[in-house]
Amino acid sequence: MLSLIILIPLVAALLLIFVSRDNTSLVKTIAIGAASATLAVSLWMLASFDMGNPQMQFVQSLHWVPALHINYLVGVDGISLWMVVLTAFLGVISILLSLKQEKSLRNFVALMLALEAGTLGVFLALDTILFYVFWELMLVPTYFIIGIWGEGRRVYATMKFVIYTLVGSLLMLVAILSLTMVHYGATHDVTFDLRILTHTHIDPSMQIWMFLFFFVAFAIKIPVFPLHSWLPHAYVACPIPALILLTGAMSKTGAYGFLRFCLPLFPDAVESMALVIGLMAATGMIYGAWIAIAQKDIKALVAYSSISHLGFIVLGIFARNEEGIEGSILQMLNHGIIASALFIIVGIIEMRMGTRNLSELRGLSKTMPILYGTFMLVMLAALGLPGLNGFVGEFLILMGVWTSHLLSDLSGILVLMGGLSIVFASIYMLYMFQGTMQEKPNSENVSDIDSGEFKLLLPACLLILLIGLYPKPFIDRVSPSVGSLLHLEKTVNLDAGKDSDQH
Amino acid sequence: MSSSWLILLFPLAGFIFLSWYGERISKTLAGWIGCGVVGASFITSLVALSDLLFLPAEERVGRVHVLYQWISTASFKLDLAILVDPLSVFMFLIVTGVGFVIHVYSVGYMHDDPEYSRFFAYLNLFIFSMLVLVAAADFFFLIVGWALVGLASYLLIGFWREKTSAVLAARKAFIMNVIGDVGMVIAAFAIFESFGTLSFVDVFAAAPGTFRPNDDQILLITLLLLVGAFAKSAQLPLHTWLPDAMEGPTPVSALIHAATMVTAGVYLIARCHVLYELAPYTMYFIAGVGILTAVFAGTMGMVQYDIKRVIAYSTMSQLGYMFLAMGLGVYSLGMFHLMTHAFFKALLFLAAGSVIHALDGEQDIRKMGGLQKIMPLTHATFLIGALALAGFPLTSGYFSKEAIILSSYHEDMGNFVFWAIAVLTAGMTAFYIFRVYFYTFAGKTRSPEAHPHESPPMMVLPLLILATLALGGGVLGPWVHEFLGPVFGREVHHHHDGGLETIALLVGIGGIVTAALLYLTGKKRMELIKEAFAPLYDLLFHKYYIDEIYDLLIVKPTKAIGAFLEEKVEKQGIDFAVDQIGIQVKEVSRGIGVWQSGRVRTYALNMIAGMVIILLFVVFL
Repeated sequence: MLSLIILIPLVAALLLIFVSRDNTSLVKTIAIGAASATLAVSLWMLASFDMGNPQMQFVQSLHWVPALHINYLVGVDGISLWMVVLTAFLGVISILLSLKQEKSLRNFVALMLALEAGTLGVFLALDTILFYVFWELMLVPTYFIIGIWGEGRRVYATMKFVIYTLVGSLLMLVAILSLTMVHYGATHDVTFDLRILTHTHIDPSMQIWMFLFFFVAFAIKIPVFPLHSWLPHAYVACPIPALILLTGAMSKTGAYGFLRFCLPLFPDAVESMALVIGLMAATGMIYGAWIAIAQKDIKALVAYSSISHLGFIVLGIFARNEEGIEGSILQMLNHGIIASALFIIVGIIEMRMGTRNLSELRGLSKTMPILYGTFMLVMLAALGLPGLNGFVGEFLILMGVWTSHLLSDLSGILVLMGGLSIVFASIYMLYMFQGTMQEKPNSENVSDIDSGEFKLLLPACLLILLIGLYPKPFIDRVSPSVGSLLHLEKTVNLDAGKDSDQH
Repeated sequence: MSSSWLILLFPLAGFIFLSWYGERISKTLAGWIGCGVVGASFITSLVALSDLLFLPAEERVGRVHVLYQWISTASFKLDLAILVDPLSVFMFLIVTGVGFVIHVYSVGYMHDDPEYSRFFAYLNLFIFSMLVLVAAADFFFLIVGWALVGLASYLLIGFWREKTSAVLAARKAFIMNVIGDVGMVIAAFAIFESFGTLSFVDVFAAAPGTFRPNDDQILLITLLLLVGAFAKSAQLPLHTWLPDAMEGPTPVSALIHAATMVTAGVYLIARCHVLYELAPYTMYFIAGVGILTAVFAGTMGMVQYDIKRVIAYSTMSQLGYMFLAMGLGVYSLGMFHLMTHAFFKALLFLAAGSVIHALDGEQDIRKMGGLQKIMPLTHATFLIGALALAGFPLTSGYFSKEAIILSSYHEDMGNFVFWAIAVLTAGMTAFYIFRVYFYTFAGKTRSPEAHPHESPPMMVLPLLILATLALGGGVLGPWVHEFLGPVFGREVHHHHDGGLETIALLVGIGGIVTAALLYLTGKKRMELIKEAFAPLYDLLFHKYYIDEIYDLLIVKPTKAIGAFLEEKVEKQGIDFAVDQIGIQVKEVSRGIGVWQSGRVRTYALNMIAGMVIILLFVVFL
């Protein structure tokens, strides 16, 4: 089942290469069909997911490179479950949005599907090499999408994005290889199976280095302040459909990496680094929000607000307790929903008005009452209005930080910084919302969103309300896995000889 | 599911229906639905009241109705639940009762507005939010209600969304209230840290055993909660949004910025009185801020010319009295004043709205005058409201305010300073409300081109109802104290002190007489006084320049730092540094002169080389 989730978009992407580029209806059918099928399978997975079981579920294993014990190994647990569903969901939305793309539609949707497949693979892979392959697979389509279909300084943006990411992922590859070597040193087994590797005890001085290598890779992908400077360029240049996958799903792979690799593999390193990372995350939260206040371009505004919101997620993860991590996972889901909806709205406004500049936009609420309503809901969720989904995540995260053992030295300050960024969020969101929607309109002949556009926004609106009103079913599926992550035991010792009582 | 949930669900249903179908149904129907759901909610509240009254007094508290489990993590569990006890039912009745009257009034007042149904949708949303706030059984949903009323307030202040000043006022109110929300959220963390739960019943049961008086943690919790309370109730220094909030339609000012929402801070302290009693320092602080806000707002109210702003300052001032009562520990007196204030302040706003309506939107009292004969019912009801606000004997305001003023001397924490300022403020209150009264209704008209008329029955009827309550609401006093007794768990001492009472009374009447002398007998004296105290007058007229100070110290630096961060730190700092690294790498590789064919490959090869080095480093270290 999990292989289907990865394979459907991947195969469809390959298939599209053989379809004539002029046959747009077939291209559309294949793209929509593949994306919907992926979503359907992932919903099926969600339905059959055993929520009491903290272990990996639906595990599938195939030999890949037997000589090196590299396997095709996939599985899902509470930590990755929602990310898979979210990616599949955003996949459908972004494919539907891409259909309006006029410039070589076939190649565009093929790359989009490949991007979706790569992201899904990252969330599902349990073999570290497989994880790395999917990690790189995400990069290639993004490179072409921004480079070819982007706007503005797209080549510069692509370059920056690719180099940043490459630096990170190569460091990660080093860490992945050394991880296996360390395990080999302890047990004389070669394995890339993450489930086994997490139980390996690693010497704390070694942990720091490996942790940092992984950390940089993931921190760039999210991105964490101050490794974020690719994001504004890439986000502003990126076409909206791809941006939805980029911000909604791909940015989560970094946070997911923290949860899947950094926390379980290197507990001592996390312990010594958490405070610094917490400060980085909190600084990024305020920094991104503060710059967002100064933006005139609403796409850039949402991009900077993403830096701020993603900082929350990182902060919660490094609080390393139930509330913090569960809040972060929920917030990953929330941010995927909210940020993608915001970008869709930005796209709608830009298409209608031909500009994204706040000083040229005003008074749209009069002619676009339906957009006004949906925009308001999404905007309120984004600024963390209690009662909607964004607040649940932020509340849990900050509660986790407040009670965190790791961050206890600075927990008060970190929470205050979080609070400040929430206040800022209401400022820049109101700037954007009121700036575009209120005061006297410039023009009376703007048509409201049509039913197609409304249907793209509707699922996000419903989820915003549902998660806000009833987060229990979402959290319940996450809790057991987070519990087992936090109470992981290191059974495989590095120096088996010295520590003989373990054997 | 208990029937008490219906109290919340009616207005919610009204909001959802009117937002979806409001444009497609007739105005009359939209108005009926908007009023009807609140009326239904009021009737259900009466049912809840009678349910409580049938119970013995000690069983009336702690009645939690759970709907479903909202979240459950390893250590944090929370139910979606409401608490139906005398305090919340008391608030239900005020919110839905006064709310219903104001809804009916709005049918007349907003009749010509093109977005009539949207107005009622927002009003319903407000009623729902306020009910969530007072019905919440834990700190989390209290915060939810707290933020939702802020949202409704934002929507209604900015209801005329094409008016720039309204848009700005709405933004200001929202952001100011978010600051309060953040304070409450952090308070909730501290509460969770201390008690492991957010439920009112559990927290209040455990609190006396957890803390000794004035422990650091309880001071922290109570002060953080106060941030929310002060922001919502426009107490110093978080008050600047309230006068600006008068940009909204007048029924909004009556409902949200006088009768209900702004009293949420008072309700919060009443609800958490168990915590506050463990923090006497905080109590003293509350009393101090309350009395300061009362006198501070009173001084500003004396010189304003916008009829709604004067009433807004008086709201701030009266809220100060309520906070004073809370700080002194006489909770049910504070709640009683909250109730009478809801009656007479809603009345004053609606009567003012009737005047504004008659004068086609004119709000400047200098352009009014002589309306006494043209609008007899509005005049009579405004006069009743003004008398009640001024604490004239036997009106409802007399009973509630006089009791607080006496307590400010006779309670344990009371002292002469509190009492003296309270009496002084009472004098100012009487002065400024009668200043408005004489300006508006006495003398001759100052704008001859206007053709004022008495308002339609849909507006006058609510005025009459509220006037009756404002006049006779005082008789409810003993009942309120008895009904709320089980919640607060202490008897209210009724102080009697003929001397102090007489002084307070005379000062109040003195205020009215002063206003009459100044404004009934021509302009001359008024101008003389204005010139004699020009600097002071200027200071008051500009609201102590607090808006300007905030702008200078907070708003401008925030914007400047944002621009600085973007320009200097982001573009010329971080981004520039990153680009430089890239350029250097390129230069170095060019210098080596081996890999010049393709850029990406150059980088990639460099990196792979680096990677190998690092790998060797890691493995052999």
